[in-house]
Amino acid sequence: MTKGDKLLVVLVVILSFTAMGYIRRQAFSKNGIYISVQVAGEEVKRIILDSKLVGTRIPIQSKYGYNLIELGDNSIRVIEADCPDKIDVKKGPISRIGETIVCLPNRMVIEIKGIEEDTEMDIINR
Amino acid sequence: MRKLNKMIFISLLVSIGLALSVLEMAMPLPISMPGARLGLSNMVVLITIVVFGFKDGIKVSLLKSTVLMLITGSISSFIYSISGAVLSCIMMYLSFRFLSKIFSLIGVSIIGALSHNFAQISVAAIIMSNLRIYTYLPFLMILSLFTGYFVGLSSGYIVKHLKKNFRTLFVR
Repeated sequence: MTKGDKLLVVLVVILSFTAMGYIRRQAFSKNGIYISVQVAGEEVKRIILDSKLVGTRIPIQSKYGYNLIELGDNSIRVIEADCPDKIDVKKGPISRIGETIVCLPNRMVIEIKGIEEDTEMDIINR
Repeated sequence: MRKLNKMIFISLLVSIGLALSVLEMAMPLPISMPGARLGLSNMVVLITIVVFGFKDGIKVSLLKSTVLMLITGSISSFIYSISGAVLSCIMMYLSFRFLSKIFSLIGVSIIGALSHNFAQISVAAIIMSNLRIYTYLPFLMILSLFTGYFVGLSSGYIVKHLKKNFRTLFVR
């Protein structure tokens, strides 16, 4: 064991442990739940909920209209809209996978999506 | 005659590597991680690189992967093993040739094990067309430290004796 060997070992250990920590924190947080905001069928925003983002307001401006959405703790709601009936504002916050808020006049859909847990294996490759 | 000697010795090395690979497959590992191997046959490649040089090293590793495929009959593991073998052979040679002042054989072997894992993971990512497989790399890297250390240590002992006995025969 020379000094270079020991340095290499220490370097690899540090690198892989930081990578493991990073992966654990980033990739698997909230089980892959995210919010998809679509206007006229196209995804314009993709939001991953985080406790740091509570209270953040995001304006969605498109050629069909204007909506203001607010992120809460594990939920999302529309607080302002320029559509006539305001159904999206009355709907209140949504928090579970599959729930949607729809604003038809503005052609906006907010949907909570989750990466489906696929427990069955496709193939075993060895 | 010298050429023939060398050829016979290299084929012996290949067959030793194959025997080690087969032995290793029969050996149960305490941890169940796909892709984790002891890498005993890497010892043979490392020894060949040190004693004979790069050309013969890559010959041995290619032959070893190919004949191992004929033994096990598994094409997908052949794709993984050949990519790992080629990259680790190149990396081990480069680090042995240019960095041998910094690294002993242990360091060289750890570099070989790391690059073997990297190549395997990359090939797996290409085959399954999913970059998330790289999240598996840190775990394999930690494991390859131990296996690389063991392989480097033992090939250090082997090389010490081989060089004494065979230098006059093979190296000019």
